[in-house]
Amino acid sequence: MHRPASIAVTDQPALRAIGVSKAFVSGHLRTQVLDDLTLDIEAGELTLISGPSGCGKSTLLSILSGLQKIDSGSVQALGSELGQLDLRALERFRLEHTGFVFQGFNLFPALSAFEQVELPLNHMGLTRDEARRRARLSLEEVGLAHRMRLRPAELSGGEKQRVAIARALAKEPQLLFADEPTSALDAANGQMIIDLLHRIAVTHGTTVLCVSHDPRLVMHADRVLAMEDGHILSDRRPAAPAIDSHGTPS
Amino acid sequence: MVALARKTLVYEWRRFLPAILAVGFAGLLQLLQLALVLGIFGSTSMYITGSSADVWVGYPGTQSVGSGRSIDADVESRILMDPAVTRVEPYIWVDGDWRGPRETGGVSVFVSGIDTATDGMMFSRVLSPALRARLDEPDAIVVDRSALDQLGVGIGQTATINGHQVHVVGIGSGLRALGGVNVLCSLDTARRLDSDAEDVGPTYLVAKLRHPNEARAVARRLRGDQAFGPYTAWSARDFARLSVLYWLFDTGAGAGVLFLAGIVFLVGAVITSQTLIAAVNGSVREYATLNALGVGVAALRRVVLEQAFWVGTLGLLGASVLGIVLMLLARSQDVPVILNVPAALACIILVMGLAAVSGLAAMRSLRRADPATLLR
Ligand SMILES: Nc1ncnc2c1ncn2[C@@H]1O[C@H](COP(=O)(O)OP(=O)(O)OP(=O)(O)O)[C@@H](O)[C@H]1O
Ligand SMILES: [Mg+2]
Repeated sequence: MHRPASIAVTDQPALRAIGVSKAFVSGHLRTQVLDDLTLDIEAGELTLISGPSGCGKSTLLSILSGLQKIDSGSVQALGSELGQLDLRALERFRLEHTGFVFQGFNLFPALSAFEQVELPLNHMGLTRDEARRRARLSLEEVGLAHRMRLRPAELSGGEKQRVAIARALAKEPQLLFADEPTSALDAANGQMIIDLLHRIAVTHGTTVLCVSHDPRLVMHADRVLAMEDGHILSDRRPAAPAIDSHGTPS
Repeated sequence: MVALARKTLVYEWRRFLPAILAVGFAGLLQLLQLALVLGIFGSTSMYITGSSADVWVGYPGTQSVGSGRSIDADVESRILMDPAVTRVEPYIWVDGDWRGPRETGGVSVFVSGIDTATDGMMFSRVLSPALRARLDEPDAIVVDRSALDQLGVGIGQTATINGHQVHVVGIGSGLRALGGVNVLCSLDTARRLDSDAEDVGPTYLVAKLRHPNEARAVARRLRGDQAFGPYTAWSARDFARLSVLYWLFDTGAGAGVLFLAGIVFLVGAVITSQTLIAAVNGSVREYATLNALGVGVAALRRVVLEQAFWVGTLGLLGASVLGIVLMLLARSQDVPVILNVPAALACIILVMGLAAVSGLAAMRSLRRADPATLLR
């Protein structure tokens, strides 16, 4: 798993948005969510986006991950121009390069933790043994080695979110997107999740982009972007990011 | 591969149960109505299936056994000339009007005049040799047990057919007819009972072949010759099918079967597709997550179709078990039910088609599995 940061292109950002605008139209009402937004996300870092509700954080995340089209501007991910990819190519891009963690855990009730992680790997063209090896390793990495055979109904909220992280991690993605991954969890579990995300950025060189308005998470991030009304208000780097100060999750 | 479709089906079986039941009942209904119709209308080809002849020769254009016309008796020698044929015998069909000893009114009867020799082919599978021998006696007849009440006779009693006196010398079984009553007698008796002056030859000539599996080819060969006036030939199997199909569609029963099959299909498909759609909707966020992770829409569709396939298979399995039990029950109660391979295949196709259509309908609701909706 300790792959060298394969996109160690220090001079090129992992994600780049240039002059991105996005509006939603429902009926006669037009909501300008993002307005001429320009942004670079550096590779191998945990970047946190925070801001008030409805300011467009999730929309920005879905645009940077190629889940949503933009009205104008351009988005580059790992050097690819996302606007030029069709639906198939976008799926392919996501399969090869991205992982997701959502607020809801979105686990199949019928599958064990191990199968949840193995399932997407089956579609990546890996051999069965390789898929199983990766699934086991990433479940071990999130501290669920002893919970692999359990179904979601038998797991706690924090464990479910860790399964979801393992599912994203097992793909060994260069980009990991997380939207409010801790908001359904209590403080301790939230802490563990953000630690985990940070560790993934450090040890795997993964670019982690996380949306949250949980102020406790700020000190764990390498970089914090404050958003309001579709604009980036501030962009700062907390002085001493706490690396693994809370030990390994178990 | 993680068997998502199968594991979900097993884990959430309660959710899929209505679909499995709908598919199962659709299959069962279809199976039973087909078996019943085939059982009832199968008796219209009993003359052929109950006999050991391989080839039938009759008037061209004949649509069912009961609607034959007489052919030239000399055709017999032409058929005997064919090297594949080992034996030929005439079969005379006479429509008769029965007047019994008791007050039954007129009953329409189908008189079958047959060769009474011990190796006679006609009805050899349903008529015992002893009964056949008794038909040698002039004006002797045999009727089916089930028709005794209808005819108002018992064994040893006399009645008239087309004004000629006949007497009942035996009672057979498996000789039921549709739309009338079968009466068996010798060829001589049948000729006497025939009141139509135009009928000079036999209604059919039936032939036995050295190799029964050549029936089709021999029938085709015999058809070519027109030397003895109009006649044609069928293999026994083809003629039996012709008879059953004629009755199916002449009586409208065939249309009824198709109509009911259509309704069963529609109702089954509505219930099944609704259940499958609900199942897809219940997992739509998980499907969307897989799509976000790059699993293609095509692969997700395959999962839904596979679920439909399993629902169809399980329904079919249930329908088969119940169907066999019910058919055995029907048989034990003398209800005529017959199931053959084409009918069973038709049921399987209907059920799997129903499942496939429902799966395709459910696939459409995968469109709601848009990963962008997970980010709000
Ligand atoms: N599909 C859509 N159709 C119409 N409007 C939308 C759609 N998606 C988002 N919006 C609007 O865009 C705005 C930004 O939404 P977004 O989900 O990005 O907010 P957010 O910053 O993630 O908020 P929160 O912190 O509450 O999750 C909201 O006002 C929302 O109503
Ligand atoms: Mg949001």
